[in-house]
Amino acid sequence: MPAAEAILTVSHVSHSFGGFRAVDDCSFEIAAGSISALIGPNGAGKSTLVGLIGGAMRTQTGSIHFAGRNISRMSAFKVARLGLLRTYQVSREFAGLTVMENLLVPPPNQRGESLFNALFRPSLGRVQDRELADRAFEVLETFGLLALRDEYAGNLSGGEKRLLELARAVMAEPKFMLLDEPMAGINPALIARLDGHIRRLRDDHGITFLLVEHNLDVVERICDRVVVMAFGRTLAEGQMSELRENPEVVRAYLGGGLDERAAG
Amino acid sequence: MDLILPYLATLVVFFFIYNIFTWGLNIQFGYAGVLDFTFITFVACGAYFAGVFALGPGSQQNGFEWILGLNLPFPIALLAGALAAGVLGILIGLIAINRLRSDYMAIVTLATGTVIYGLVSNFTPLFDGFDGLAGLSPPFAQALGLNSNQFTYLWVVVSGVVMVICWFIAQRILTSPLGRTMRAIREDQDAAETFGKDTIRVRLIAMSMGAVLAGVGGALLMGFIGAFSPAGWTSGETFVVWAALIVGGRGNNWGAVVGSFVVAVLINEATRYIPPVTADPTLIPTVRNMLIGATLILVLWVRPQGIIPETRRRFFQLPLRPGSPPVQEAESARG
Repeated sequence: MPAAEAILTVSHVSHSFGGFRAVDDCSFEIAAGSISALIGPNGAGKSTLVGLIGGAMRTQTGSIHFAGRNISRMSAFKVARLGLLRTYQVSREFAGLTVMENLLVPPPNQRGESLFNALFRPSLGRVQDRELADRAFEVLETFGLLALRDEYAGNLSGGEKRLLELARAVMAEPKFMLLDEPMAGINPALIARLDGHIRRLRDDHGITFLLVEHNLDVVERICDRVVVMAFGRTLAEGQMSELRENPEVVRAYLGGGLDERAAG
Repeated sequence: MDLILPYLATLVVFFFIYNIFTWGLNIQFGYAGVLDFTFITFVACGAYFAGVFALGPGSQQNGFEWILGLNLPFPIALLAGALAAGVLGILIGLIAINRLRSDYMAIVTLATGTVIYGLVSNFTPLFDGFDGLAGLSPPFAQALGLNSNQFTYLWVVVSGVVMVICWFIAQRILTSPLGRTMRAIREDQDAAETFGKDTIRVRLIAMSMGAVLAGVGGALLMGFIGAFSPAGWTSGETFVVWAALIVGGRGNNWGAVVGSFVVAVLINEATRYIPPVTADPTLIPTVRNMLIGATLILVLWVRPQGIIPETRRRFFQLPLRPGSPPVQEAESARG
């Protein structure tokens, strides 16, 4: 892996809720074009960190830089407009919109979104919608959701919703995707499809990925680099195969799990 | 005939005006999910400002006092009322939408409306306090030499024309990408935010445009009745518009029309001309409110999405990229 430029830099970030330090002087970098993972035991501060990076919460101390910009105190929609897209642990589809409409919401710079154009120049929005719908058809085709395009997103199965999340994210044309437990509650066959999609998006669209994931087999299979968090800070970084040998990591997180697996 | 026709014309005027109200609330709640529990405040704002633009100056000697009093033609007064309501929509939106969501937002709109109600009914220099505005001569009537029945027919036409314009405003927002973004925000505000949507701005637009329609309707009401006072915009009136929208079908402007016909016209307005029961004058108004409530409960039971619910937008008809075969019913991904 050649040393690539860092697209996301987290430096000395701390965040407390009341007296509890959820994130405590955490630092790491994510290389552009990589597929990385953020792992750690429950309560390690991963979700808080995802919230801080995505702009759902303001960083208290330390700084987060994305693509050369300080995003530590930026609101979520502004972070998104820089090309950083996060997903949530549970599917957050627009339930009352059709699958197709779910894909037409994300694209940036839609001319029909201005009130003036909506009222006085509706054709601008319609013309652009046609282009976007064409693109959405292709995306739906690759994700195998085309047949469901006119179904309400709320009626989809859990797995289909996960695919929809990824398809919808592609329409936003992000530089960076921060996926919060994308494989949670998904059957193994679909996991294989999802990680295929992730790799394809990295290779074809140059999207950088950071996955928060508990499924370590998936992490080992698709991630170039792994950041381990425990007690709010970075414990170790490296490849999954190395980390499995790292005694500190094993003690903090993997220990029981690995032993059980060896025993079982 | 001399009695029935003007009566029906009056009902038609109320029907048209309530359509405008219901579409306004639909933009706020049906499209964008903004819980505006003080809708009637925007109606009042439109009515008051249209009033003080169209009326002459009030004077303390006569016991009437109000701001402005510009004596301007009614069309200008109507625009002023709409604009004032739109601005008030942004102001209340800034208080309620900026940091709050759902039920908290709803409570704040209600509270803000109550504060405004208290202010307007007690601070007489503004709109003559609890007595309210009065004495607006029927617009256009003198110039056209109309008697009061003919004025009612004229107002059917005037409010009808204005209603058609409002229909286009409401429909164009609904069918535009802006409307789609509003509906996405209604479904999941955080998710919309992660796609770079400025959800506060979009919801303020919805709040303000809904308020503009409320203000337009209020101005038409002012022009029709010629008077407006706090007795006419108690918070119960907000509930009538809400009931109309929920019964008719939120997210669908045709549904809003059905709801405004059933709730606002058939139940709320048509019953106003039933002679009061001498033994108990409050009987009919009470039964009217019970009927509205019962209709609402019935609809929520048997058809919670409303009589004509939000339409599903299909994309079969869209021209695909050139050269691609027409989209067939592809095999189900559920396979």
